[in-house]
Amino acid sequence: MTRALVVPRLLLGARVLSGVTRASRDRMLELAARYREPESLAVTLSKALDAGAEGVLCSPSPALRAALTELKRTVPIAAVLPGLDVRERLDFEPTLEPLLRRAGAGAPFGARLRARFLGVGAGGDWARRVPRLVELEAAAVSRAERCAVVLAAPIADRALAAGHARLFARFTDYVRRRFRVPAGIETGNLGTMLGSLAEWGVTPDFVVGPVNPRGVGMKPDRDATLAMLRRASVPVLASELCAGGSIALAEGARFALENGAYGLVPDLADLDDVPNELKALAR
Amino acid sequence: MTIDPSSSSDASHSPAGRNGALAVAVVGLGARGAAHAAMAGTLPGCELVAVADVRGTARRELRGLGHKAPAFSRLDTLLHKITPDAVFVSVPLASRPALVRAALEAGCAVFSERPLAPTAEATAELVALAASTNAPLAVSCPLLFEPVFDAARRALRLGAIGRIADARASMNASRVFGARDAARMARLGRGGVLAQMSAELLSLLLVMFGVPSTVSATASRLYGDVEDEMHAMMALADGTEVGFDSSWSAPGHPRPATVIELAGEGGRLLVSDDALELDLTAVRGGYPAGHTRRRATEMDEPARFDLGGEARWLEDAAFARWAQGSEAPLNTGAQALLTQRVIEALYASVENQGAPAEVRA
Repeated sequence: MTRALVVPRLLLGARVLSGVTRASRDRMLELAARYREPESLAVTLSKALDAGAEGVLCSPSPALRAALTELKRTVPIAAVLPGLDVRERLDFEPTLEPLLRRAGAGAPFGARLRARFLGVGAGGDWARRVPRLVELEAAAVSRAERCAVVLAAPIADRALAAGHARLFARFTDYVRRRFRVPAGIETGNLGTMLGSLAEWGVTPDFVVGPVNPRGVGMKPDRDATLAMLRRASVPVLASELCAGGSIALAEGARFALENGAYGLVPDLADLDDVPNELKALAR
Repeated sequence: MTIDPSSSSDASHSPAGRNGALAVAVVGLGARGAAHAAMAGTLPGCELVAVADVRGTARRELRGLGHKAPAFSRLDTLLHKITPDAVFVSVPLASRPALVRAALEAGCAVFSERPLAPTAEATAELVALAASTNAPLAVSCPLLFEPVFDAARRALRLGAIGRIADARASMNASRVFGARDAARMARLGRGGVLAQMSAELLSLLLVMFGVPSTVSATASRLYGDVEDEMHAMMALADGTEVGFDSSWSAPGHPRPATVIELAGEGGRLLVSDDALELDLTAVRGGYPAGHTRRRATEMDEPARFDLGGEARWLEDAAFARWAQGSEAPLNTGAQALLTQRVIEALYASVENQGAPAEVRA
């Protein structure tokens, strides 16, 4: 009997710590300084869970690992994989080998062994090689911590542009079977992604993408994205709720939910008072 | 046979784009080339019809990512078999001029990464070739398409702050913090921070203010043979001086940060990646008196697909429109030539310990 996969409705976004943000440079530096010490990040994560967040959306990193080891409790992680820093995201070279080598170097023996048999004979097909990368990178998050695995936007959006439906289908299938957690897709092109997934008949467990009243980051445009969101069969977790800091979090969250978002991903960059603002959203 | 064996398409009889679409080819499948290939299908009235790269692995990776366009190892074979309308040239600098020339000679509109060629002379030849064949030739400069900087340019054009008395500009990033970083950057192209990073800002300044008559510059080499920091002054024909500073060894800049500050007879203008700010003494050019601030996230976002920011898509779309017969965008080959001439004058000044150097017309 298979356990039903539960998609979280409220995740704390920590993508700003990897430089993935539309927040101003000052805000980014402020947050980097605030969370330089693992203890301060650990306290924030713990308070976020107490306030109702069901997990944290982030890429595994040494800073996050250090924060998690400070805590006695388990923090559920929706791991965005592969973990890419801001420069790697901006100029992403679509070649998997360096990422596989890097991930392999840091992965435990078991993960390396399992990865060896993934994608054998795949040639260059990313649909069969991305699971291998996910296997290696997911090892950075323990089984107890892992609450979802999310395909990072630099790969997802390039596969979307190329119309590679099988990549999304295989990724989803692999994550569900192997990790028994929901499989998510991160995208900077939410409307286009939802349209394509519907057309292909591919149903990941959720999609994470920008939704806000200003339409910031909503591609192909605000209206088309909202139309897709309202009739999407895939749950959408709305990010970029504050449109880069130009609107209030409560307003952005209300807008996203009213327009069909299943859940919310407020980022650390959007939050001034993490526990209280999250508590308000959790209600 | 030079068709990639991994390609299942029959490339031998693929003419141009379907239904009158602009047939686009991409040569060079590194980060930028692959991004052009991905965006080509999202540009209005465009179709990706072929790609090329000498590296079999790069062709396989792009195919593995889902692109179905025929892949070639050589541009000349691609041009012979496919006859595209427009070609994105994203190969390393050493082979860039030859491939741009080949595409222009085949009658294609060409978009090239920056710089077009290693020297201004070589760039001038390609610009002349494009002019003689009447082929659009664009050179990458995404900063010209960033909505917030575009808004600043528009404010200046409308006379929001009147005649400029003082201008300062800077571009900083955290990229090079050791000999290894410096060696890596030196391998990527000629010159250091100016040629490889802040040429974009320089290009924007030339569009805003015109070409300076003389320049003077000093540079610091912190970690290697190329400059890591540059400080320059550029004198415009009307006597206005434009200050220009750049460093790729500045802490706290995970993303390059660009700032332009202008003081004019009617007030001040400050534009950065985050916002456009105006402080005007009176209503001018349609802008209100007093302080006005527009965040970058409050600007229109006309790009239809996001793959590394708004400007990248807008730049590709502007080139495609030019190739389809619309007006030329700001990042023409001729504009790139002007930028390269100023860069050469700046390096000449650095070599002469900051002595003023004339910019060749």
